[in-house]
Amino acid sequence: MKAFAVFLGLCLVFVFVWERVDVVRIGYQIERLKRDKTVLERQRDELRVKFSTLSASDRIARLATEKLGMSLPQQGQIIVVQSRPVQFRPTDVHRPDVVPVELKIAKNYLPSGRF
Amino acid sequence: MTGSISRGRRYGLLLLLLCGFGVVLFRLFTLQVLQAAELSVKADRQHRKTVSLEGARGTIVDRHGKVLAMNVEVPSVFGVPNALDSPLKTARQLSPILHVQTDELERKLRQDRSFVWLARKLDPEQGRRLDRLSFDGIGIVMEGRRFYPKGSLLAHVLGFSGMDGEGLEGVEHRYESYLRGEKRMMVLQRDALGRTVFPRGVTERSPTPGQSLMLTIDEVIQYIAERELEDAVGRAQAKSGTVIVLDPKTGAVLAMAVSPRFDPNAVSALGPDRWRNKALTDAYEPGSTMKAMMAAAAIEERVVRPNTMVFGEHGHMTIANTVIHDHERLGWVSFAQVIQKSSNIGAAKIGMALGEQRLYRYLQAFGFGQRTEIDLPGEGAGLVRNPRDWGRRSVASISMGQEIGVTPLQMVAAVAAIANGGVLMKPYVVSEVRDADGHILRQVPPQAKRQVISPETARSVTKILEGVITDGTGAKAAIRGFRVAGKTGTAQKIDPRTGTYSTSRFVASFTGYVPADNPQLAMIVVIDEPQGDAWGGAVAAPAFSRVGEQVLSYLGVSSNEPVTLVMASRKS
Repeated sequence: MKAFAVFLGLCLVFVFVWERVDVVRIGYQIERLKRDKTVLERQRDELRVKFSTLSASDRIARLATEKLGMSLPQQGQIIVVQSRPVQFRPTDVHRPDVVPVELKIAKNYLPSGRF
Repeated sequence: MTGSISRGRRYGLLLLLLCGFGVVLFRLFTLQVLQAAELSVKADRQHRKTVSLEGARGTIVDRHGKVLAMNVEVPSVFGVPNALDSPLKTARQLSPILHVQTDELERKLRQDRSFVWLARKLDPEQGRRLDRLSFDGIGIVMEGRRFYPKGSLLAHVLGFSGMDGEGLEGVEHRYESYLRGEKRMMVLQRDALGRTVFPRGVTERSPTPGQSLMLTIDEVIQYIAERELEDAVGRAQAKSGTVIVLDPKTGAVLAMAVSPRFDPNAVSALGPDRWRNKALTDAYEPGSTMKAMMAAAAIEERVVRPNTMVFGEHGHMTIANTVIHDHERLGWVSFAQVIQKSSNIGAAKIGMALGEQRLYRYLQAFGFGQRTEIDLPGEGAGLVRNPRDWGRRSVASISMGQEIGVTPLQMVAAVAAIANGGVLMKPYVVSEVRDADGHILRQVPPQAKRQVISPETARSVTKILEGVITDGTGAKAAIRGFRVAGKTGTAQKIDPRTGTYSTSRFVASFTGYVPADNPQLAMIVVIDEPQGDAWGGAVAAPAFSRVGEQVLSYLGVSSNEPVTLVMASRKS
């Protein structure tokens, strides 16, 4: 009985020490994960800034004009076509206030065999 | 006996041991009892580390969520001069990474101090280069740095923050209490190597980041406005310029461009004159654009109707011993033509018929002489004197936009009121406040200030202002396929040397809205001191047209005007 009590006491001491050691170990682990999280968050923020910088309208317009040879549409070249047309008769084409506009459509965008 | 120890020796050994234990016990007593308080404080200081943590400053995004300003943690480098063996050697190694002159670094490192900043808020790449090297007596701490990824875009509205992260100008300053992250002190436990073992009280939450702001500004519209403004200012070789685009139905600011621009990422070398948001701080004499408001007041008060005939005095009229001129020698013209031809004499006559009290009342109702209460700092109230202080010519002068100071924001808000059926809206730039997880904390609803004129009057004025583009001075503001309503303005600036109107320095402007029948945009273009042809119709109106056309296209606003499309094809 005495030996059992000593054994139980030793077990309790062991469990207590083991628990303390484990708390410290997990503490180090948490700190390491926190550092990793901070580094990843920092990388995410850097990438967000980079994405925002690269997608700036100013930069895209510069690349479009300088590298791709595109140009801004001149006045009158932008036409937004209504999805629900106003009442318009074919004979209106001959009205003096109606200005015909030449609409060029790239061949690649037309359905094949219909050009 | 040789194997046995004498009794005296045994006692001597025992005494020695007792003395040893006594010394140990005495030391223990000293440490644990006598010096307990002092030493426990010392131990606590070594094991515990108190750190000040601040939540990241909130992000600012445009109305589509595109990032306009955000914080990134970047390295700052400090030195401990007392711990350095060779300041010169360290300075030479650090100089190419920090981009700081060697002698400057050396001077800092030779100071008789225990801490000195060498460079703060470096680029992340510089931090990575520093990480690869190891220097004794040199340390790195991470600090939040504000980045404005779009560069100079919207700089006058966004403002900027200082080295310690506090907002100094613009939205950054106005919404400081929302953007700033929570500051918290946290106690950490360290081991013998100085590593953090465990935060004391692991349940302690991290400091809350600042709240994020969603603006009413549209990045693309802002870009269009800035590009066209720069172009207009450049063409006219002007001193500066402003473009403001509003949604007339809500008062939401879609774009606010000021030229010359500045980059908030590198603001230290610039003065307040460069970063001041002139769109809302600087008052100018509006000139003929004021005739739109005068016309609204006169029609609302039934002083005139659009077809009321007014005699133009063939371009000359004397009021209070001064002569008012028109740029066209007009005879009998309708009131609508007075506005369309921008006749000073006609405006003066109608203004006088309206009378000073009614004119003053409408100036106030349209918001002149008082702040619009936009949520940006530094707004000016303009200058509208009390009728008590008006001279004999004041009614005539104010009717044609002289003797009055307005900000571009006040003027566009007033014109937007006409576009909005007579309801003056409060302009605003922040539409939503969100927490770090994106949950909406506060939504800013459009706020109507008052009904200035009736919807019928607004429709009549709109018709007159459409005539400014089709038959008047604002022909260059026309946008193909859309009905535009607006008014040109060309105001002489006061010559500071003589105190009289300058004959060479002007403010050219155009303000209006489009489409006239269902306004989607209200806009003002102000060009300060254009050279050469300085008329508002020649300098500001084309910029209005270019911005309007592109923005309408971007917003997908379709034309109501009939346009024939002829498809051209070619056989391959």
